[in-house]
Amino acid sequence: MLESSSPDFAAELASKTRQAKEFSEVLQLCTMRRRALAKGLLSRPAHPRRVAMIGGSNLRPLVDLIEHFADVAGGVGAEFWVGDYDNYISEVLEAESPLYEFRPDVVLVLPSERRCVYSGSLNSGRAEQEDAGCKVAQELLDRSVAIHDRCGAEIILGNFRLPPYFDPGPIRNSSLISEYSFRKFVNAELGLKAPSFVHICDIEFLSNRRGNLAGVDDRTWFESKQPFAAGLLVDVAREYAHVLSHIATAAKKVLVLDLDNTLWGGVIGDDGLEGIELGTTSPRGEAFRDFQKWVFELSRRGVLLAVCSKNDYEKAIEPFEKHPEMVLRLKDFVSFKANWEPKSENIRQIAAELNLGLDSFVFIDDNRAEIEIVNQFVPEVATIWAGDDPAEFSAKLKDSRYFELRSVTAEDVQRVQQYKQEAERQQLLGRSTDISSYLESLEMQGTIRPFDRLDAPRITQLIAKSNQFNLTSRRRSEAEVADIIASSQFSAFTMRLADRFGDHGLIAVVIGKAQGEEFLIDTWLMSCRVLKRQVEEEVLNEMVRLARENNCSRLIGQYIPSAKNGMVRDLYTRMGFQPVREEEGGTQFYRFDVEEFSPLPTKIRIEREAHATV
Amino acid sequence: MQQSEVLAKLQEVFDATFLEKVDVRADLSARDVPEWDSLAQISLILAVEEAFGVHFRVGEVEATKNVGDLAGLILKRMDKG
Repeated sequence: MLESSSPDFAAELASKTRQAKEFSEVLQLCTMRRRALAKGLLSRPAHPRRVAMIGGSNLRPLVDLIEHFADVAGGVGAEFWVGDYDNYISEVLEAESPLYEFRPDVVLVLPSERRCVYSGSLNSGRAEQEDAGCKVAQELLDRSVAIHDRCGAEIILGNFRLPPYFDPGPIRNSSLISEYSFRKFVNAELGLKAPSFVHICDIEFLSNRRGNLAGVDDRTWFESKQPFAAGLLVDVAREYAHVLSHIATAAKKVLVLDLDNTLWGGVIGDDGLEGIELGTTSPRGEAFRDFQKWVFELSRRGVLLAVCSKNDYEKAIEPFEKHPEMVLRLKDFVSFKANWEPKSENIRQIAAELNLGLDSFVFIDDNRAEIEIVNQFVPEVATIWAGDDPAEFSAKLKDSRYFELRSVTAEDVQRVQQYKQEAERQQLLGRSTDISSYLESLEMQGTIRPFDRLDAPRITQLIAKSNQFNLTSRRRSEAEVADIIASSQFSAFTMRLADRFGDHGLIAVVIGKAQGEEFLIDTWLMSCRVLKRQVEEEVLNEMVRLARENNCSRLIGQYIPSAKNGMVRDLYTRMGFQPVREEEGGTQFYRFDVEEFSPLPTKIRIEREAHATV
Repeated sequence: MQQSEVLAKLQEVFDATFLEKVDVRADLSARDVPEWDSLAQISLILAVEEAFGVHFRVGEVEATKNVGDLAGLILKRMDKG
């Protein structure tokens, strides 16, 4: 599964740990981490927190899992001391106990659920039952205060899961004589009355989320005093570690959002304002709108919003200004980057503008490659891959746990305004990123082949819908494409691209025509998904190869401006073409001498296919 | 499932549990493996239950003397649920 000698071992261990759900997966990752530590391949944290755990059950392997989650997923290195089975009351009360000798910074408490029962008479009144509940809660809080007073430690106190069994029937929810209601009542008391240094580890919620029945395994209780079934053990360990990292690390402050297929369906640059999916006219549109509502809710909590999108700025802001179904508007953002630079660079700039650390940023995108580039070049930034089902975007963001409410202050609410001004003040220079090693890591494979009949429908489709990266915007029907295939006048080819994240399919179409010394580029269009991947370079290499095959000495390029193709206005000059002349309507002609040209090096492995014979 | 298949799968569980490589054989027992103490036993058995999708009854794992017995118990529980 994982090689501990790999340079990305720590990163992969972290990402696998975040995703792991079952006990055996987590156990395996724990063992790997311990092996890597033993071999010196991972370093122990420099200033570990001193964490003690006490409780009413066997706390191993629970503590080992907590240590793993805290270090690997929570960024909190810790040194542990573990109390004896069910000895926690004397450990807390005795001043000389090893608990205090350890001098803990944080104490995790997992109280015995077997002591959280109503022991009064069955026909008691409500007041008497509530008194009993308050007493149980108060006792636990008193113990927590005792620990805090003695050693100053913060306390993370586990509450109680609810029993999964039918007994005692419908009375379950109407009287505290049922264990079910009694524990719910105690949990509510604990939550309401906990002082600021007591943090609740909400086991009631975790068990509900997994299913109370699934959390019970009485065999392991009888055999080795395990508090929960293996799955719930993992959930509880993760939660203790999560609360621990809340205490130890700063909260996330900024959510950076992609636009196309993240805030709306479709590509604004290609589909236009009327073409994007957003709002109540379609189920998908409704899902995107719902996601925007959730993002807006986060901004009300004080989370700063920023945009980072590969788009022309003018196009990107259009929906925010004009689309009636948009929930988010420009005023909701503290920074808005829509350009063609790497997203990692844009996020760096946003951080500099806001004067915030990169580790307070979270980035969400539907495109895995963009997530990867951010992970690689700004690893401090937390990322969320939105996936491809907008119905799940809100849930993904909620379960990412990056923007949980710790406590609400007036400052949180004003923060958005503050940072917006900060951003307006600052202007920044770009920094360069080592893009070439990123491209290398994508392991791209390109396939170039002449137009053929099998591809005709896809070629026609791309010709019809490409608006942005399209030098001449010449549209052709399938019949016209078939004519080009049949004719010997044209040299037309397509390019496909795949990388280690998947296949992008057919992404470039070029139609060229040899005329004497000149090789005319009639059509050059590409999908915007693959910009800045060196596909342009490979296309140029192929055009030169074809020009030479046809005994041409130069390429002639043509740019016909349209409402949407501003992004390729300078393409030919960027690729080294010389401007020749301008016609009315703004059409520009360029030339490129092929004599001296040697193919441009790229990180794409190219395969060239001959005509398929059909 | 044959005992040999059970042992092969157990090898994976052992690899995920112990730091040092342990060669799983039918006559292997906890005494042969320094790391295999009562704490490791808890994790090992939880992982075995998950890996094979079985649930042991109370007390029966304790009665196994070696890995061969454990494999037999796994097969029995796979049959009878």
